[in-house]
Amino acid sequence: MDTVIQTSNYFWVIIFGYFALVLGFGSFFARYNKTTQDFFFSGRRFSWWLVTMSIVATGVGSHSFLKYSAKAYEHGFSSTMTYMNDWFFMPLFLFGWLPIVYYTRIRSIPDYFERRFNPGVRVLATIAILGYMIGYIAIGFLTMGKTLQPLLGLDLYTIIFIVAIISGVYITFGGQTAVIFTDLAQGFILIFAGVLVFILGLNYVGGISIFWNTLSTEFKLPLAHFNDPANFNFVGIFWQDGIAGSVGFLFMNQGLIMRFMACKSVHEGRKAAAFNVLILLPISTVVVSNAGWIGKVISIVTPEAWNASTKLDHVFTQVAYLITGSEVVFAFVIAAVAAALMSTVDTLINAVAAVVINDVYRPIVKDKDDKHYLKIAMIVSAGATVLGAVSTIFFNNFPTLYEAHGFFHSTMTPPLVVAIFLGIFWKRYSTPAAIATFLGGAVLMWIGSKYPQIFISPFDHGIDFNPERPYSYIRALYNTFVCAGCGVVVGLMTTPPSTEKTDGLTVWSLDRARALFKGSAPNDRPGKPVYVKWVLKDHDTNEVFFSINDMEVMGADEGDMIYLSDERKWLGGLKSVHAFYGKPHTEDGIVYLSKDHLDSGRFDEQRKLIGEKEL
Amino acid sequence: MLDFSRTWLPYIYLYGAGGVIFIIGMIIILRARSLKQERVRHNSWMHILIFGLLYYMSIHGFFTFLALGQLLFAGLIALVIIALSVNLIMILIKNSKVVA
Repeated sequence: MDTVIQTSNYFWVIIFGYFALVLGFGSFFARYNKTTQDFFFSGRRFSWWLVTMSIVATGVGSHSFLKYSAKAYEHGFSSTMTYMNDWFFMPLFLFGWLPIVYYTRIRSIPDYFERRFNPGVRVLATIAILGYMIGYIAIGFLTMGKTLQPLLGLDLYTIIFIVAIISGVYITFGGQTAVIFTDLAQGFILIFAGVLVFILGLNYVGGISIFWNTLSTEFKLPLAHFNDPANFNFVGIFWQDGIAGSVGFLFMNQGLIMRFMACKSVHEGRKAAAFNVLILLPISTVVVSNAGWIGKVISIVTPEAWNASTKLDHVFTQVAYLITGSEVVFAFVIAAVAAALMSTVDTLINAVAAVVINDVYRPIVKDKDDKHYLKIAMIVSAGATVLGAVSTIFFNNFPTLYEAHGFFHSTMTPPLVVAIFLGIFWKRYSTPAAIATFLGGAVLMWIGSKYPQIFISPFDHGIDFNPERPYSYIRALYNTFVCAGCGVVVGLMTTPPSTEKTDGLTVWSLDRARALFKGSAPNDRPGKPVYVKWVLKDHDTNEVFFSINDMEVMGADEGDMIYLSDERKWLGGLKSVHAFYGKPHTEDGIVYLSKDHLDSGRFDEQRKLIGEKEL
Repeated sequence: MLDFSRTWLPYIYLYGAGGVIFIIGMIIILRARSLKQERVRHNSWMHILIFGLLYYMSIHGFFTFLALGQLLFAGLIALVIIALSVNLIMILIKNSKVVA
């Protein structure tokens, strides 16, 4: 919108107070970072519910509120499409990619490419993934600028500069544990704020009956028109978002992968992912879109209240301002969106640091102590923030955030997604085939973008050719096709990799991956958790000692892996440790631990522990 | 009157193309024995995966009928969602507490 929304000092006190609270909350948990492993992966200790709420805050990024509100205002309930098409890949994610990344203990996605192929492919993957994440960070910053611009009236890039400094300082010192706990709080707040906007909006327009009856049938359909208009149609968005975007987010978003690797087990990671897609995504889609629907009803029912010159990316701010009716509530809603930005961006900045340290810096500067790498990780976090802020200049050229994001997904994700997919699921997929996917795919994608009417039009499903932005979404199908084509053709023409080379790195050898993770054959005998008191024992191995009976209840044998956590489940695994079962004793209800276990798990003397066999 | 391209064609395409991806995924994880039905936990996951697909098909079907004003079909689908959810919850309760 062209006018500046008037706010008093109270508004800004609430906004900054909220930020201080969130930053303080995250910083409190930063004290759990002792090593780069903690900084990036939180020591693999958290429960599913904690991780899934933090995933909400990451997935429902700040861009979501603005971009989906804009499309919801324009096109109706079909703005929900992008959140409601993720289940198709869940079998492959839950029982393919997730266990592979977890059991192989990869530090980053490019690390997988080196193990599966060679260091050269790792370099290609590193370039692709850094480009993807920096682009995502830039879109986050751009969103924040567009959210605050109607309130501050300042230049867009000045706002982005200020936001980047705040985000950079926070993540640089916080690390992954701080990110997870901050996002846990923000996940709840985001959903609450979105639902609040919907309820207040319904109240503003006169109730759900007026809301429903005012909107046209076409507006209320959950899926868009098959292939029209060019800037928002079902089939283009299916391939751009349902395929490239969803797979990109699930399979190659280093930030998200790090969340799953912070889970205490693969099973907990699966629960986090499934709960997120089944329950939280449908809620989230209403949370991020409803301002657009409410805005449309307001513009019809009370057109005098609606600023007709409102820019699409400002619909959310305009609706929130109109319906809240109180500066305090409005400030809270805007703070929640700001929180969403922090959640998305902090995760990605942390992820960029993980990739740069593990895939670029560590291979060059070897044999340094962990403190050195931790210090460099913090510097890289700051650098990634600056780079993300600068990259906003490119994305600001698109008419809306939605289109900027769509173009970004269609272009950046296909090579990496195809390489990950073929790498995991096709044993024949060789190193030359992976290189062909990246390089050959990139060349064909570039040719397609130069001559879209020749190369992309056969895939267009009848979508009109828009010369200004040709095939914004459906190009994802062409890009995926050519990348996969290059990989498959070269894969079929070259010698397949040996079984030893792919051992534990494809879905076809997951049992081997589990055995390598544990160091011996997995034990899948059914068992139940036990509650035990801990007693300190003077020993320096990573073993804990249970009674014979307790081990029988857990279905465990000597040498199996165990997860021990504080009996307070609401801590979500913050106080926990992984270890191996040592030689059993005869004192039921007692576990003997070492000093290292106590320090790492931060167990309380008065509290019992829950022991459960891991593998 | 809205044409087929606006009403049901996107739905058919979504669950046609998406369904093929889902089925291929299920076949791969079953053939690779990444999902082992004989394990209690994995058996629960098998149910969750199939439920998820039917759940989303039902939600999209429900809202399409609702938007088109066909309340009887919308109501029937709502009942199907409830029945599927109750069935899944019962299975999960039965299989809970087992670590395997």
